Order: sequence, then structure tokens, then C-alpha cells
Amino acid sequence: MLRVANASRSYGDETVLRNLSIEVGSGEVVAVIGPSGVGKTTLLRLLALSLEPDEGTVALDGTDAWAVDAAERRALRRRVGMVFQEASLFDASVARNVEYGLRVRRSWRDRLHDEVAGLVRSNGVADAVHEALDVVGLTQKVVQQADSLSGGEAQRVSFARALAYEPDVLLLDEPTSDLDPRNTAVIEDAIGEARDRGIGVVAATHDMHQAERVADRVAVLLDDGITEIGPTERIFEDPSDERTRKFISGELVY
Amino acid sequence: MPVDSAVQLVPALLDLPFREGYVRSIIVVSLYVSVLAVTLSTLVSVPVAVLLGFADFPGKRFVKSVINTGMGFPSVVVGLVVLFAVSNQGPLGSLNLIFTKEAMIMSQFVLATPPITAISLAAITGVDDGVRDAARVLGGTRLDVALVVLKEARYGIATAILAGFGRAISEVGSVLIVGGNITSADGISKTRTLTTAIQLEARQGQYQTAMVLGAVLVALVLTVNAVVVRFGDRGVQS
Ligand SMILES: Nc1ncnc2c1ncn2[C@@H]1O[C@H](COP(=O)(O)OP(=O)(O)OP(=O)(O)O)[C@@H](O)[C@H]1O
Ligand SMILES: [Mg+2]
Repeated sequence: MLRVANASRSYGDETVLRNLSIEVGSGEVVAVIGPSGVGKTTLLRLLALSLEPDEGTVALDGTDAWAVDAAERRALRRRVGMVFQEASLFDASVARNVEYGLRVRRSWRDRLHDEVAGLVRSNGVADAVHEALDVVGLTQKVVQQADSLSGGEAQRVSFARALAYEPDVLLLDEPTSDLDPRNTAVIEDAIGEARDRGIGVVAATHDMHQAERVADRVAVLLDDGITEIGPTERIFEDPSDERTRKFISGELVY
Repeated sequence: MPVDSAVQLVPALLDLPFREGYVRSIIVVSLYVSVLAVTLSTLVSVPVAVLLGFADFPGKRFVKSVINTGMGFPSVVVGLVVLFAVSNQGPLGSLNLIFTKEAMIMSQFVLATPPITAISLAAITGVDDGVRDAARVLGGTRLDVALVVLKEARYGIATAILAGFGRAISEVGSVLIVGGNITSADGISKTRTLTTAIQLEARQGQYQTAMVLGAVLVALVLTVNAVVVRFGDRGVQS
């Protein structure tokens, strides 16, 4: 279980998140909805253990990530996968991108061996890459350079890159913002598949219908905190917080 | 056009009153000194640029300002300082390096290091933060992240190295001071480079010889620049 407890985070003088708590268990999909600029990406970066909270804690299975040393934190981070809002692919082939997480988990000796062996035959890594690309329907792009992909393809490769090393928790920052309806469905199916495999998923999204379709629970992020969090159906049917209700019904315009 | 003029120069080359091997030995000395100096500079500059691009440490601003000052530092003064260092009174006097290729490499190293470091640093800082973040979040160690960033910055770093080479190969003042523009008795270059040879030949009225050497130097620099432009293009594309 990945849990943020009473966390605050500012950039300079501007407090983006104040005293915020959220958690995700295994095999559960939590959607974070909220207007642009409210702090969804900031929250995901806290969950990814890439940004330290000013106050509060972020813990994976009870281990406070910022109370341990860098090596231990990296070990925790390696159990979390993230798909970035801008795909942020490396300037390399699709295969190299997708295998990245697997590669950095291997010893330098093995990596050197992989490089040499890779010249003559494929290795176990190739199977994992193929499998991850298959989930997003892009196996045919495996040798293409990442910089020549379309925006939507890049986003799907980014998804495969995070999935390839089978994280315990998968963080998705607007994973379908560049996709057409058909590919959106592909990603939503992949989210469901991840859940079935026991992966906990946190997805930030602008799209409330998407939240309704994929999430077990929904967190509504307004101003600098979560106004309401609960089972998807209840949040959409019967929100108890007045601002949540206005936001969901579209009366609250930002 | 460059091909045409090169063809016209061939008969001129044959007629010229210099000994066999003279021009070749000058080219060899020029390349030897510049390539070695730039190689050593690169081995120092790129790690320094990585350090400056990644780590925060006290005195970082100072190091950066030293590098920026170094870029505009008058090369004759560098030559003078290196000359003093290797002279009999200097700290390296016992090594007998005065008027040697090694002394020239030292001053070229001092001249090439600041631009190579500064341009590499610019390339490294220019790498998208999202890419660094991705490498880290996906489980990379600090070394893995640095390697990813270096790879993303590879065209910029190649440009930096070639720019350093351009500065070294066309340098006159410091090379003249520390190298002395010497040939051996049989007319083969010891510390004479293309630039210092041109300067000497022109002063002695040997315009033809100076022109030939000038053409060789230009050809070398143009080749290097062509490579720079190619790298630059690839950098923009990606
Ligand atoms: N590195 C930073 N430095 C300063 N301010 C930042 C930084 N990152 C984010 N912010 C600010 O923090 C606020 C929240 O940003 P964040 O990216 O988390 O929003 P978001 O909810 O993801 O928005 P969007 O839906 O548009 O992606 C914004 O006002 C943004 O300008
Ligand atoms: Mg965002």
C-alpha cells in the first residue's frame, strides 16, 4: 500500500498541496480529478517518491520513503511505475525506452553481457518489452526511434515503459490526453488488466467520464486539498461536499 | 570551388622550394598537438560539466565564472604563463619542456578546456527535466541518470569538442611562444604548426608556400565545421 499522509508541498511561496492524505492498495484504481493547475502532477510526483513533501510522509508498505537513505528510497521507487504527462521518452529506439526500467535493475556485468549478446540474439528482456508493447498495441513499432512517434504513440510507449518492470503501483498522469477514442479504450483496458494483476493504479485525469469508467475510488482535488474521496459511484451520484458537487456538475468553473 | 583551387595548387606544390616532407611534417605536428590537447581537455571537461550540471556544491558559481572568464582569456597570456612554468625558473623547469610539443599541448589544453566545458554544460543543462525525472522514477541510480542525460546531450557535447578542436588548430600566439616554431636542420618540423609556419613564410615573402599551408589549414577547419554542422542538424532533428 502506497500512502501519502498529511503532506504539504509548496513551490517557493505558493502552497500547492496542504495537509493532504491519500492511499492506494493493491488491485485498486484511484482516479484523481481536479481542474488544471490544482496540483495533480505534484501529487503524483509525491507518490512516485521523486518529490519530497515539505511536511507529512509518503510511505510504501509502511516504510517512510523520506526517512530512509537514498539507496533504500530507490529500492522503494523501483516498485512504482509512472507515466508522465509529457511522455518524456528517451532519444533512443522504442525497445530501448521500454526496457529501460529492466535494464537499470540489472548489474553492470549483466548489462554489458546484454549489450554484447543483444548483437546476435534477443534475450529475456526482449520478451518483457514485447509483452508490455502488446498491452498498448504497439509491438510493430519496437525498432522505431522514439522521436519519430506520434504524440499518442509516444504516450502509449511511455505506458509500456512503466508497465514493463511490473511495478506494484502504477501512476498515470493524464494517460489518455493525446489519444483518440479507440486508443483511449486500449489504455483503459490496460488499466483494468493492471488492476487484475494486483497492481495499484493512481490516475490523474481531466476526464470525469474516464474516472467513472476506470476507477474504484475517486479523489476530488480542489484548491489545495482533497475535498472528497470515496467510491466512484457515491462521489458521482451523491457527493457530500458542496464544492465537489458543484465541480462534478460543472457549476464550479475554474 | 574548394576542389578546383586544390587542383590548381597541385603544380604549385610541386614547384615550391621546400624540402620533401616539410608540409607533411607541419600537418602532422599541428594535428598531433591539437588532437592530443583536445582529447585531454575532453577527458577533463565532460566530467566537470556533468558535475556542474548535476551536483550542488559550495564554490559552484566560482567555478562557472572561472570557465566563462577562461573562454575569453587572451591566448598569448596563456602561452606566456605556460612558457614561464616550463622555463628554467618555473616549477616544471626540470622537465626540459621548453619549445617542445608537450609544452604546446599544455597551452592548447588550457585554451581548449573552457569552451569545451562551457558548451558541454550548456548541452547538459539543456536536456529536458522530464527526461531526468523519467530516468530517476523508472529506477535509475544517479549514474544511470547522468548517463541518460549525457546521451541526450551527445550532439551538443560533440559540437563542444569540435569547437575546442577548431580553437586549438587555428591558434597562433601561444603556440609560437611555447613551441618556438622550430624545424630541425633538415627542414622537418619539430614544433612548427600550420599557423606558425604561415606566419613565418608570409613574413619572409614566401607567399606561395604560405598560401598552400593556408589552404591546408582552411581545408582542415572546414572539414571539422562540416562535421559540427552535421551533428548540429541531428541535434535539432531529435
Ligand atoms: N517546478 C515548479 N516550480 C514552480 N511552480 C510549479 C512547479 N511545478 C508546478 N508548479 C505550480 O504548481 C501548481 C500545480 O501544478 P501541477 O503541475 O501539479 O498541476 P496539475 O493539476 O497537474 O495541472 P494540469 O492538469 O494542467 O497538468 C501550478 O500552479 C504550477 O504552476
Ligand atoms: Mg499535470
